[in-house]
Amino acid sequence: MTAPGFAMEARDLRRSFGSERAVDGVTFGVRAGELYGLVGPDGAGKTTTVRMLVGLMAPDGGEVRLEAAGGAKAGSEAAREAVGYMPQQFSLYGDLSVGENLQFFGQLFGLTKTQRQERETRLLDVTRLGPFRDRRADALSGGMYKKLALACALLHHPKVLLLDEPTNGVDPVSRRELWDLLYEFVSEGMAVLLATPYMDEASRCHRVGLMHRGRLIAEDAPAALVRSFPHPALLLHATDRDGLERRLAGRPDVMALSPQGASLRVVVRASGQADFRAWFAAQVPDGTMEVVAPDFEDVFLGLSSAPREVAP
Amino acid sequence: MRLALTALIIKEFQQTFRDKRMVGVLVVVPLLQLVVLGYSVNLDVNHVPTLVADEDRSVQSRELVAGLVAGDAFDQVGELATGQAALGAFEHGLASIVIVVPKGFGERVKRGAPAAVQVLVDGSDSNRAIVAQNAATAYMLGRAVALAQERIAQVARQRGFVPQIRPLRVEPRLLYNPALDSAIFFVPGVAATLLLIVTLIVTAMGLAREKESGTLEQVLVTPLTPTTLILGKTLPYAAIGLVDLGLVLAAGSWLFGVPLRGPLVVVFAAGLLYLLATLGLGLFLAAVVRNQQQALMAAFFVLLPGMLLSGFVTPIENMPTWLQPVTALNPVRHFVEVLRAVLLKGASFSDLTSQFVALAGIGITLFGAASYTLRRRLG
Repeated sequence: MTAPGFAMEARDLRRSFGSERAVDGVTFGVRAGELYGLVGPDGAGKTTTVRMLVGLMAPDGGEVRLEAAGGAKAGSEAAREAVGYMPQQFSLYGDLSVGENLQFFGQLFGLTKTQRQERETRLLDVTRLGPFRDRRADALSGGMYKKLALACALLHHPKVLLLDEPTNGVDPVSRRELWDLLYEFVSEGMAVLLATPYMDEASRCHRVGLMHRGRLIAEDAPAALVRSFPHPALLLHATDRDGLERRLAGRPDVMALSPQGASLRVVVRASGQADFRAWFAAQVPDGTMEVVAPDFEDVFLGLSSAPREVAP
Repeated sequence: MRLALTALIIKEFQQTFRDKRMVGVLVVVPLLQLVVLGYSVNLDVNHVPTLVADEDRSVQSRELVAGLVAGDAFDQVGELATGQAALGAFEHGLASIVIVVPKGFGERVKRGAPAAVQVLVDGSDSNRAIVAQNAATAYMLGRAVALAQERIAQVARQRGFVPQIRPLRVEPRLLYNPALDSAIFFVPGVAATLLLIVTLIVTAMGLAREKESGTLEQVLVTPLTPTTLILGKTLPYAAIGLVDLGLVLAAGSWLFGVPLRGPLVVVFAAGLLYLLATLGLGLFLAAVVRNQQQALMAAFFVLLPGMLLSGFVTPIENMPTWLQPVTALNPVRHFVEVLRAVLLKGASFSDLTSQFVALAGIGITLFGAASYTLRRRLG
């Protein structure tokens, strides 16, 4: 990681809970004007990573440096001035109104009254929360609540924005609005890190880091990851789809396996492709096979069936 | 960070006064508890249900019994045929004391021979039993002296001279609480305890709630310093605590006639130091618990010994010798002492140096330890 221009950089982050290594040596960086996706299933270590990045949790090893704040370490006062954080769970005062929450957090960030009013008006405008200014936060819908949380995280004009599963529990319309807002901030030069388990969201990031069992197993632009993925994706049709799925489940050459409509979508190890085709033709006489272009999800599922765990 | 502190304090008041239950906890509950505790915590022993087994049925025995139940102390609730029935009467809870006047009592008194009266006391409530026993014994002694005087006078008249009898006279005069009114003694204790309950629970629960609801994280990612956070979380409740103290004292004076003989400023100065200790304790609990439920459990673990080891109900002198020094660490004890001394005896700062030193020491230590723990847990 010698590339210049990182606004925030994590080096060899480690954190264990008891004997469980939640984050096991994660290194990456986010540039200004970049939307970086930290992608992985639940339990991959995304939230732990984000909490260390924002300084809420001390790492067991490694460090986080914020070049956007003159190289300050995560959690320092300078770093907190430069970072905005939107946690996954509820984090605003449900018994305070939208306006009161904005005012409170604005004051905690030391904003003057004029700054607060100006930013509040603008943020209420872009999030379209203006009409709900006096509504209690716990009376907002999931999507509106997330937008308020985002507004609170943006009040102090952070240079780095960390979002932990921001679209969790948000309706599709609000979800698109949130994304539009994110693109807007990124285009203004903000460095945004987004932790998400959704592959469709990951594919919309500039760069992604695939996280699996506390490790970063691949990192690149989504399209580049798909392009360089060597293993083929196949769509298998058979009358007994579930039976076929059971027979495929234990095979070492099958890297990923998921139902797609009436068919099965599999990722087959490139080296075993010929054998697999022969086996399929012989064992599933009524089946047909179709080669499809691997998508981002195939890449993720394929990569996370890490070779080191597959029997030779 | 004056702005951040102001923001925290305003937010804390907004949340507190918007929540009707919280207003109840902070204002109504203390007054209600004062009333309930003030009226119910009453160690005066009066109107002891008394059964009489007058086996003698003479003029003398009737006089003896009538004199005993004439005052407030003993109420005759019935008669027993014989002293044998006393045990059954105790077991059925009919009486706490049984007076047995044996057959031949009147005859022996008339003759001037030694006469005995049996007083049976139900000892299961030891405090009540001791008081009842003492009252009965004192009455009987008085009767004995009167009988002796009568007898001496009688003998003197027979021998033809005027007796000069000057028995020893005891003239007790009770100071500070002449009517020996329990409420006056207890209200200061109740006030100290209420302040402990309110401030400890509210502080511990308030911070635990922020942990539980995730709001603490959002606060901690702002450039707020831990000191500001701690002040913002305690100052509002210190203010509410002092208001509560005033309310409880006013209600105590109005309902129970608790006097205020010393300077009020001493009470509030001690109150401030006391709050330092109770809020510190609340913060400490909040630092080590994960959620509101744990906070409440932990608070009760602290409240009970805090109340029992304060001298509020049982005098510290009556506790085991090894336990007595422990109470010196209990802020409730010192605050109760200050309240009693100022309210009842009119004591001032100079009379209460040791209590003020103790309160300040405990308060600063607890608050400091809590701040340190909280900083480490949050950092």
